[in-house]
Parts: sequence; structure tokens; C-alpha cells
Amino acid sequence: MGGGERGRRRLRGLALAVLLLALPWLLPQRYFLRVVDLGLVYAVLALGLQLLVGSAGQLSLGHAAFYGTGAYTSAILVRKLGLPVELSFVAGGVVAALLGLTLVPILRLRGNELAVATLGFGVIVHAVILNEEWLTEGPFGMMRIPPFQLGPLVFNTEFRFYFLGLAVVAGTYLAFRRLTRSRFGRALEAIRQSEEAAVTSGINPVLYKSKVFVIAAFTAGLAGALFAHLNRYLNPNDFTLAESINVLIMIVVGGLRSLEGAIIGAMIIVFASEYLRAFKEYRLILFGVLLVLLMALGADGLRGLPSALARRLHRG
Amino acid sequence: MILDPLIGGIAMGCIYSLIALGYNMLIRAMNLLHFAQGEVMMVGALSGVTLVSALHVPYLVAIPLIMVLCAALSLALDAFAYRPIRRRNVPVINLIIATLGVSIVLSNGAILVWGAEPIRYPTIYGSGALMLGPVRLPPQFLAPLLVGGGLMVALQLFFTRSLVGIAMRAAAQDRETARLMGIDIDRTIQYTFAISGAMGGAAGALLGPIIFASFNMGEVIGIKAFVAATLGGLGSMPGAMVGGIVFGVIETFAALFISSGYKDALGYGVMIAILLVAPSGLFGRRVRA
Repeated sequence: MGGGERGRRRLRGLALAVLLLALPWLLPQRYFLRVVDLGLVYAVLALGLQLLVGSAGQLSLGHAAFYGTGAYTSAILVRKLGLPVELSFVAGGVVAALLGLTLVPILRLRGNELAVATLGFGVIVHAVILNEEWLTEGPFGMMRIPPFQLGPLVFNTEFRFYFLGLAVVAGTYLAFRRLTRSRFGRALEAIRQSEEAAVTSGINPVLYKSKVFVIAAFTAGLAGALFAHLNRYLNPNDFTLAESINVLIMIVVGGLRSLEGAIIGAMIIVFASEYLRAFKEYRLILFGVLLVLLMALGADGLRGLPSALARRLHRG
Repeated sequence: MILDPLIGGIAMGCIYSLIALGYNMLIRAMNLLHFAQGEVMMVGALSGVTLVSALHVPYLVAIPLIMVLCAALSLALDAFAYRPIRRRNVPVINLIIATLGVSIVLSNGAILVWGAEPIRYPTIYGSGALMLGPVRLPPQFLAPLLVGGGLMVALQLFFTRSLVGIAMRAAAQDRETARLMGIDIDRTIQYTFAISGAMGGAAGALLGPIIFASFNMGEVIGIKAFVAATLGGLGSMPGAMVGGIVFGVIETFAALFISSGYKDALGYGVMIAILLVAPSGLFGRRVRA
């Protein structure tokens, strides 16, 4: 029965929600929770990029530009203008979205050319962050950024931040799930498969690409603001091409086009980068080898692994 | 006066062109953005140091040796990393990320072999410059101009005159038809990897004596060459040559006239501006999606 299926899914969702809310009490150590917090920040970032790359098929190599813009906007507004953090946080998203809007002209480009243009844009934004010392405090980075605050609630510990991060991830996830299942999502799907065919169905690709680009930029800005108030210190080198590529790796490892995949991929890559530290100088070599191996998994990434294994067992 | 930076820019440009040729060959043959191309170049530059300093191989003999070494490296990357992934019919972005994985492995592997400190090449060139009328040709720029230029001419001849070269172009243009004509597609892809590796190796051998050789030179130079390839037109051979030289010249003049903090950014800005006017680059043709 359809009703039974829906009921079961609701129950599963509820169980997951309870588990996620109880997680901080179950975790062994504070350090572990800090990595989870960082993973939540990246999950927000990856969700936005998933919409752009996975759903709409537009390869971006400059996502760190919007992430950095959000982070620095929120930090600067709080530190230099004394704005309340609730406002500066939203402003981080808005300013990143406005920056995304200025890029609309390059959305006429496709495929590899679009990827390189966004890469160039990322380099330019990084240069601005690095050089405009009066604004960003330059290569030494910006220190003493206050924690996030909502009225009397101060999210100044790993434990408290977890709930903030979780709320933002859940909100973004639910909003994007609605979006991808709507007419808008189907239009993106059409553009990804063939821009020409989308045009003949009355879809204006540049309009839709612009919208999804601005949404992804806004999300990246929010993630950046989250990061600023979690880490409480910003360095220009946190927002380079390497970071843009890192987020791209997250969504491909988790499985392209899957929102759950973006979250899982973010967690896996953040944990892998932290826990491979034990291997010292071999850490990055292992990371690279792991990456090559994971890419052989195909379009569904790790998310598709259980069902692929099940199929193999079934057959065997 | 203005000719000195111009010569320097063209010489650097020739090196970018060699790397960009590698990118564009692979894009044309299989629509692959090979992010590890810069790291192949880096391995070439560092093994050049070993050959010249430790083994006392003359520089001009070392260059072809490095090219062979890097061709072999490039073939090995295809055989052990890319081909197994390609066989599984994954989306092209998976393959691109695999090339990123390979570039991480190569640059960190290079730290284990050569260490993390930049290494200076032994003095190869004298200090006297060659004077062509009023034009001063410093010796460290002579090799990129002559060797780089010679390699580009040779490559052009290879692609237009030799049977293998023509077969490679045919396979890149239309895989199915080429297969029907009896062309072994896997073999042409291997040739493409080998030649792009050799070009990367040559670039490394030429670049090493100009800047220091280090494990992370591949990233910076590789990305610049990639931008140069886009500037000329992704997948285009003349585009790679012209794009590299144009980028080299822009970069050199930007360093002269612009505050140093933004000199790198300028090249990218010009690239975006050119793409806005010509969405597939200067010599672009639309690459198959």
C-alpha cells in the first residue's frame, strides 16, 4: 500500500532525526565533534555545488570564491561595523549571491570553457582577499571573529555549533529537495541533458543557469559565514582553487545529482583528510590513490556502492 | 627596450605552449581535462636536475632523455589509472577527478624522491647574451625559443605528414568512422598520452633552469598553461601554440605595469574577457560534448 510506504518512510526520517540530534551525546571525544562540525559546514557548501554541477550539469571550478566572500563578508560586518551576527550571517549569503549575479555574462559559456572561466574568477577573488589588506587584513588572516549568536544563544562550543550546523544543513537539504522535484528541477535536468532540446521545450537555459548559479553562490556564502564563526579565524589560503576542487571531489565521491550524496561526500572527505594525518608524509599520496579508486565507482559514487554490492551478491 | 620583456614573454610562452599542446591533444582525442599534465612537467624538471647534476649528462642530451621518461610516465598513468576507469563507462567528471588524484600522488611522491625544497639547476648557460642587432637574447631564453619552437614545428609536421599523425587526427575527429577505416583507437590514445607526456617533459626540462625546480611547480605552471590552452581554444593545436605565447607575453607585461599582487590575476581577467567575446577561444572549434 502507498500509505504504508509513506508511513514507513516517515518513521525512518523520524528515527534519523532523533539519531542526529542525539549524536553529540554519543560521540566519544570533543575532537571528533569538531570534525563533524566542519563536515556540516562543507555539507552546506557541497549541497549548493551539487545543485549547480549535479543537477544542472554546469562545471564550476571557482566555488571557493563565493565561500570566501560569504566568510569574509560576515566576519568584516561583525568585526568592523559591529553588526549583530544573525544579520551578518545572512549578509554573507546575500553578498555572495550578488557576486554570483555579476557572473551571469559568463554563463553563456559551456562545459570546459565555463569551468576555466570560473577557475579564473576564483583566482581573481582570491587575489582581492589577499591584497586588500584594509578590508580583509591580507595574508595574515582575520582573527578574533566572534561566535554565532541567536538572541541569548551563543554557539561558541563544538557541542552547540553542531545544532546550528545541523539546522542549516537540514534546511538547505529540504529546500533543495523541494526545488529539484519541482518544475525548476525538471528544467535543470533538461538543460543538463541537452541545452538545444531544452530550448525547443521553451526553457531559457541562460535564465535557469543564472538562477541556479545565484542559488549555489548564496548557499556557498552561508557556508562561508558558518565557517567564519566556527573557526573564528580566516586565512586567504582557505579559499583557493584547491578548496573549489575539494568541494567538487565531495559531490563526485558522494554521487553526482544526489543531495544525500553531497552530505555523505562532505563528511567522508573531511574525515579522510583529518584521519589520514596519521600517515604523515604519505597522507596525500594515500588520499590521491583513494580518489582514483573511488572514481572507478561511477556516477553514483559511494552512495551506489551498497546496491552494486547487493546486485553482485545476488548474481553470484 | 620593450623588446626585452617581449622576448622573455615569448620564451615563457613557448613553455606554456608545450604544456598546453598536451592538454589540447588529450581534450581533442578523448575530451579529457588532464590536470596531472603540470605534474608530468614537474617530474621532467626534477629528473632533469638528477640527470644533469648527479649523473653529469650534458643538458642537450638530457632533454630528449627526459622527454622519453615523461612519455613513459604518461603511458603508465593511462595504463594503471585512467584506462581501468574509462573501461567502466563513468561520467567524464569522474575521469577528471581521477587526474586530480594522480596529480596529488605525483607531487607528493616527488617530495619523497627529491624533497620539499626547490632545487637549483647547475649553471648551464653563460652570462653573455646573443645580440641580434638591437635585440638582446639572454641564453636562458634561447633554449625555450629554439627547442620549444622546433618541437612545435615537428609536431605540426607529424600531424600533417605522418600516417600515425593523420590516423590520430582521424580518430579524434570521428572515432567510429576511424575504427571502420582500420585505425586502432586504443593505440592512437596511447600515442596521444605518450606525445603529450613528451611535450610536458620538454617543458619541464626547459623551465627548470629558468625558475627553480620543485614539487609544487606543476600546479602553478600547469594551471597557467591550462588557461593558455583555453585562451587559444580547447582542443585546438594552433590554439595551444598561440594561446601559450599570448599568455606568456600578457603575463610578462602585466608584471611590469601592474602592482605585483594582482599580476597573476590579470592574465585570468584577460582570459575571461576573451572568452566573453569568443566563447570557444581564439582558435576554438566546438569540442564534442
